[in-house]
Amino acid sequence: MKPRPPIGRRLVNGVVSGLAAASALMGLLALAWIFWGVLSRGVGALNLDFFTSLPNPPGVSGGGVANAIVGTLAMTGLATLLAVPVGIMAGVFLSEFGQKSRLADQSRFAANVLMGMPSIIIGVFVYAILVLPRGKFSGYAGALSLGIIMLPVVARTAEDMLRLLPNTLREAGLALGAPTWKVTLTILFRAAKPGLLTGILLAVARVSGETAPLLFTALNSPYWESSLAGPTPNLTVTIFNFAMSPYPDWQQMAWGASLLITCGVLALNLAARFFLGEKHS
Amino acid sequence: MKTTTMAFPYPVALDQSLTLETAVPAAYAAAPVGPKIIARQVRFFYGDHQALFENDLEIHRHKVTAIIGPSGCGKSTHIRIYNRIYELYGEQRAFGEILLDGENILDPAMDVMELRRRVGMIFQKPTPFPMSVFENVAFGLKLHYRLSKGEMADRVEEALSQAALWDEVKDILRQPGTALSGGQQQRLCIARALAVEPEVLLMDEPTSAIDPIATAKIEELINSLKSKYTIVIVTHNMQQAARVSDFTAFFYQGHIVEFGDTQKIFTNPANKKTEEYITGRFG
Repeated sequence: MKPRPPIGRRLVNGVVSGLAAASALMGLLALAWIFWGVLSRGVGALNLDFFTSLPNPPGVSGGGVANAIVGTLAMTGLATLLAVPVGIMAGVFLSEFGQKSRLADQSRFAANVLMGMPSIIIGVFVYAILVLPRGKFSGYAGALSLGIIMLPVVARTAEDMLRLLPNTLREAGLALGAPTWKVTLTILFRAAKPGLLTGILLAVARVSGETAPLLFTALNSPYWESSLAGPTPNLTVTIFNFAMSPYPDWQQMAWGASLLITCGVLALNLAARFFLGEKHS
Repeated sequence: MKTTTMAFPYPVALDQSLTLETAVPAAYAAAPVGPKIIARQVRFFYGDHQALFENDLEIHRHKVTAIIGPSGCGKSTHIRIYNRIYELYGEQRAFGEILLDGENILDPAMDVMELRRRVGMIFQKPTPFPMSVFENVAFGLKLHYRLSKGEMADRVEEALSQAALWDEVKDILRQPGTALSGGQQQRLCIARALAVEPEVLLMDEPTSAIDPIATAKIEELINSLKSKYTIVIVTHNMQQAARVSDFTAFFYQGHIVEFGDTQKIFTNPANKKTEEYITGRFG
């Protein structure tokens, strides 16, 4: 029997490969386009004032978003402090202790649901439990809502990273007479360190651009705030307000702030790649 | 610090006609005699699948016992019960009795961490921890002993020397254990296991992932270690079993088909299946 000539298969292969490449290119193109748009329009806003001054009232040119930069850093930092320990421990539970137990199954499911939850709902939730009872917007509420968004991301990446480790490593530790927690803390954490760091960085990157949950919690402020106890200035809500305003100065400032956040997220992602790459070298 | 060990300085075959009081110094009067480990009617399940059937086996003190048999016959499964490492996986269960110096290790009251200190294990693939050579060996020591810095350094050196690795790593103790060659990594794992002064060493195909020269070194090492430890080695390599062991157990489909002197098993096996396996007719 003569084999069928491969022309048809080659053709299909070519078409499918071409479609796949085109789709990949489209994703890349979208990213490049956004980046170029933000860069070309935002770069003009970046000057020393932008990083050191308060926003000016409409009509007065100059001014900056220094207070919002500090506020965003403070809230993201506090959110990280809240979410990372709990998230890592949850990941350890899912991967090392709970495994196939009911509690682990339910926690994993809850984490997945929470990860897919629109962030505005988390904002409204924190508004209901923290802002309404205290009768005021605050940076603490903002940090809490960001932390809640980070939590499942950290927990699931921690679980995945720990699960990637070979069981022989666990067995070797246990075979020396170490308890599970000690094996996890001293052996598995070290082995999974690049992955865990990556997870944390990606979670930070994920929340550093969040706007909706802050609208209901931290709100915004045009002033320097000495604590997180009241409305707290932040970049994303500032972008939202300034971009919607009719004043060209403010719009320009919004582009600048957008560029700043974009670069920050990009830097976090590059750092994450660097840590992961380190593992393979 | 000169460490004392639990090893016995005399051959174990005590003359039973002598009374204990006259035969051995008082300090050793309580020293147990007879096999180090006695497995009685051991059965093992992976979920609903039974992997071991009524295993009876005696592991003799200060001897090397080899466990051979075709893939999937239950060799590894059998020795993984001796330190209860199978318990890491919830669906695996063992039944029967395994007496370590007369104590049933399957008894839930048994302290598993202390059991694992007394019964060390070496795995098929070298498993250096992601830390320095020194810390790898110190890991187990820190778990079980409270040592000063100097004592720790002494014990680490002693363990690495016993594993015939000291000369190769004494200048790179601070480097990661994973940077060593495969054979060195395996000896590092042996040093790590020896550091906590175990009584029994379980080796699960310890040379199947390393090259022939490194294998020869480890076999030599096994020979030098048996005066101090009781060794059980699972191996796929029958020449290896013949070279290193005093006793051999042949496993087939979860049953112990034959157990005896290595010499006898390899030259004059009693069972037809054993003969077929060692002559290479299956497996």
